[in-house]
Amino acid sequence: MDRFVDLVVSAVLLAGLYATMAYGLGLIYGVLRVVNLAHGGVIMVGAYMGWILHGWLGLDPYLAIPLVVGATFLLGVVTYRVLVRHLPRGAAGGPASLLLLFGVWLVLRNAAYLLFSGNDQTIRTAYSTRAIPLLGSYVSVNRLAVLAIAVVTPVALHLLLKRTYLGRAIRAVAQNADSCTLVGIDVERIYTITFGLGTALAGLAGLLSATIFSFNPGFGSGELLKSFVVVVLGGLGSVFGTGIAALVLAVVEVFAILVLPSYLTAAVGFVMLVLVLVFRPGGLFGQRVLG
Amino acid sequence: MSIRNNRRPYAPLLLAIAALAVAAALPGAAAAADKDKILIGATLPLTGAEARVGGFFKEGYDLAFEQVNKAGGLEVGGKKLPVQFLLLDDTSTQASAVSLADRLVNSDRVDFLLGTYASHLVEAQSTVAEQNRVPYVNGGGGATKIYKRKFKYLFGLISPVELLGGTLMQWIDEQQKAGKLPKPAKIALVWENTAHGKDFRKGISDFSQKSGGAYPILVDESFELNARDFGALLGKVKAAGVDLFLVDAHLPDYITMHRQYVANGMCHKVVSYGARGGEKDAVQALGQENVNCVLSGVWWSAQLGTRPGPSQEFVKAFKAKYGGREPEWFQALAYESARVLFTAIQQAGKVDREAVRAKLAAMKVPSLLPGGTVEFKAEFGQQAQNSFVLQQNQPDGASPIIFPKDVASAAGVAPNPRCAK
Amino acid sequence: MTFSWPPLVPRWAVAAFVLVVAALAVAPAALDLSIYSRNLVTLAFLMISGALAWNWMGGFVGQVSFGHAALFGVGGFVAARLMLMEPPAPAPLAWLVGGLAAGVFSLGAHPMLRLRGPYFSIATIGVGEAARLLFTYWEDFTGGSSGLSLPIDMEMKDRLYFWGLGLAALVVAASFLIRRSTLGLQLLAIKADVDAAADVGVNATFNQDLVFALSAVVVGITGGLYAAYFSFIEPGDMFGFDRSIAFVLMSVIGGVGTVLGPVLGAIVFVLLRQFLLASYPQLYLGLYGLLLVFIILFEPLGLTGLALRLAGAVRKRTRRAPRESLA
Repeated sequence: MDRFVDLVVSAVLLAGLYATMAYGLGLIYGVLRVVNLAHGGVIMVGAYMGWILHGWLGLDPYLAIPLVVGATFLLGVVTYRVLVRHLPRGAAGGPASLLLLFGVWLVLRNAAYLLFSGNDQTIRTAYSTRAIPLLGSYVSVNRLAVLAIAVVTPVALHLLLKRTYLGRAIRAVAQNADSCTLVGIDVERIYTITFGLGTALAGLAGLLSATIFSFNPGFGSGELLKSFVVVVLGGLGSVFGTGIAALVLAVVEVFAILVLPSYLTAAVGFVMLVLVLVFRPGGLFGQRVLG
Repeated sequence: MSIRNNRRPYAPLLLAIAALAVAAALPGAAAAADKDKILIGATLPLTGAEARVGGFFKEGYDLAFEQVNKAGGLEVGGKKLPVQFLLLDDTSTQASAVSLADRLVNSDRVDFLLGTYASHLVEAQSTVAEQNRVPYVNGGGGATKIYKRKFKYLFGLISPVELLGGTLMQWIDEQQKAGKLPKPAKIALVWENTAHGKDFRKGISDFSQKSGGAYPILVDESFELNARDFGALLGKVKAAGVDLFLVDAHLPDYITMHRQYVANGMCHKVVSYGARGGEKDAVQALGQENVNCVLSGVWWSAQLGTRPGPSQEFVKAFKAKYGGREPEWFQALAYESARVLFTAIQQAGKVDREAVRAKLAAMKVPSLLPGGTVEFKAEFGQQAQNSFVLQQNQPDGASPIIFPKDVASAAGVAPNPRCAK
Repeated sequence: MTFSWPPLVPRWAVAAFVLVVAALAVAPAALDLSIYSRNLVTLAFLMISGALAWNWMGGFVGQVSFGHAALFGVGGFVAARLMLMEPPAPAPLAWLVGGLAAGVFSLGAHPMLRLRGPYFSIATIGVGEAARLLFTYWEDFTGGSSGLSLPIDMEMKDRLYFWGLGLAALVVAASFLIRRSTLGLQLLAIKADVDAAADVGVNATFNQDLVFALSAVVVGITGGLYAAYFSFIEPGDMFGFDRSIAFVLMSVIGGVGTVLGPVLGAIVFVLLRQFLLASYPQLYLGLYGLLLVFIILFEPLGLTGLALRLAGAVRKRTRRAPRESLA
């Protein structure tokens, strides 16, 4: 029974991590229909930003959230205005955007190598290894905070999308960009903001990951792959779906250890990814509406 | 849209041919008729996944070459020849390690090769040395499998990781016999799925099998390099209720796993992460109080330099060159690989690959490695079999050697006092 | 399906092709190539074959695969296993069987072929990563994370030059045949609009299966040759994501969807890698990245497009640039 509680706790905490990683990817795809392969790179950038702020200024990673989110938002805006905007939209633009953003990722990675070398870095805070007891199990304070952010983020996004003019415009653009132009919505502006938001979410995920893992310039590829799985399971473009899908993936991966060797549990997610894409292209829950 | 217009895809073909021609025409460097220097080549992972250790190896190589050239070079056939070192970056990938070795041998015409770091790179690269009959001395490829191929030109100074597992178990066995550990002592064995991890596993499980039930292995699991989450795996370890937690991991996984381990409130009577333990990076990332008592086994330790001998000289020279920093085993093994190769060249008395190979195969010289001598026995595929030194982290930040006894500077602690709380 | 002889391969092109192959065949002896240069060219042949085969799927059909490493790995390991048998299978047979095994493996991906665009790409990432993990775990077959070592054969690399040349020549010819045949036209139709293609009677499913299988066989054979070249292979390298990416990069840099662009891309890839790596290792990733960004934004046909532009500028012709059908 203890073991069961342990596994549930690990699954829920892991879900929090997966969800934060995936929101940005999901949002950008949902609105722009662009698969942001630079996502992993931005996660890495977020991690290094947190590391710099913590190491040089002694700023706690959680207090650094506004700075990192702001900076990566700008990064996203610039990426969109300078590069992504010029891509063809729709099916023909699919492969082109994948490749373009992959190129951006390579450049980010290389820049990080030049700036910080390939060494593994970590952020250590007083709470890095602190835990609180819960139901006979222990819960890492840090991961609990990540989980909280994973829960708050979609709620905030939901409110933004449902309650504000900007949000309604984003949803409208996601559904039909052409008619938005007709009713006077500046579609390009919405795209820019959305791309910035998605990138900022990736930066946030990177910052949070940096409090848990060690990282180097190659950091982010594993995160990107997991994000793919989560976003696809959740139905590309659904924010709450992403959250729930993160939980599904985490539960399956964690409980897989009961029947599979530990090494193979990582493969379960990828198998699920392929199966869902082939048999339920709309995601596990079949919803495609943003929000 | 008409296909018929598409008439000029031949332009790229012509370009392609031109490019190929350039590649083909790139001449190999002309071989010097009379030797006025000795050319030694190597690649190291200076970027990519293994970049950190690659940099350490470079420091060791650089020191060795600097020393020998300061002394006027190597004495070969009555005159002193300077030694030139040609180092390339293999970016931690096998394909580059192989083709750059190819380049070093067939284009730059190096006389001998030193090895790169990490088993898979050495295993791939050494094939080039063997094919071209170039002696290849390395301190970075520890997997036994590399040497089971019985290559004639491959020499490894780095003892098999199996021995690390074995040495660890020997110490544990002493503690058990002294009544400090329960009998049977149950083991959770967790290893990274690499050649390194597999050798570690073999060392532990061989010992466990021979122990006649004193060390049952209850958990035997592997994980992927740079894994993100060990929650489920640690949950399994926890549920198994073991006494000894024996892991083989690289630094990033050590940090990630041990953070989770501590946060899970776990504690075992003996904890080891294989070769990891007291690294400054790890202490920084995990906090001193959380790495206390962690046991680690390494190929060499700067503490071996506290008494007179090759280790002391090396530590002194290293500190002088690198601003007082203490070397770790990486630098020591790289340095020693170069030194062993130099010795063989001098013994051979000529810059001749076959003669040097023969001298390496027959070599038995004093060394900074634990045990004090180095030799490459054919029965082990020319891999050195020096023992490991075990270190244990202390609350004051030191990691004294605790085993083997003849070099130990402190007594090991078991069981882990932290668990009692 | 009818398969007509390509009507539009001019005689001079055929002659040039034969000449080039012949010249390359005698080059090692005639030019007294250093072993290093020769090996580099051998490697280029292998990459050319792989990139062209990837391009059949990624360029001709427009299904960008990020998972071709799985096929490469299956081909390589099956071939390696056969060469390790007692008595060892003849290398060419081993390569062929490896290629066929990769072909069979690719048929398993049949259900994925109805996915289009990014969905297909993401699915291939999933397959590639799952394959990497499974094959790394499958120790009895792949040797697990410690891989497989083939016996050192001193003459193997000499012979591999010619095998590589032969393979590359065959694949170049096949690229032309596919592009200029009815099959090629049907693929273009599928690429432009899969539903419309079906409406006019193109069997999209069958054609994609066929091309994917062909691509897989070639990539699998390439994997086998690669295994023989390196004498040591391990799943992490053979099945790695970086390898899948390499196929994509070569084709895109050379000119995705063009007949010969990937040849150029592969050569540039191998040379860049080799020379940049030796002199500016810290820059090569970023350089690929910049190239990719530049190509996607300014020259979707990659180096081929650039070459065509240059050729056009030199000839000062005002004829419409021959870039239809390749968007």
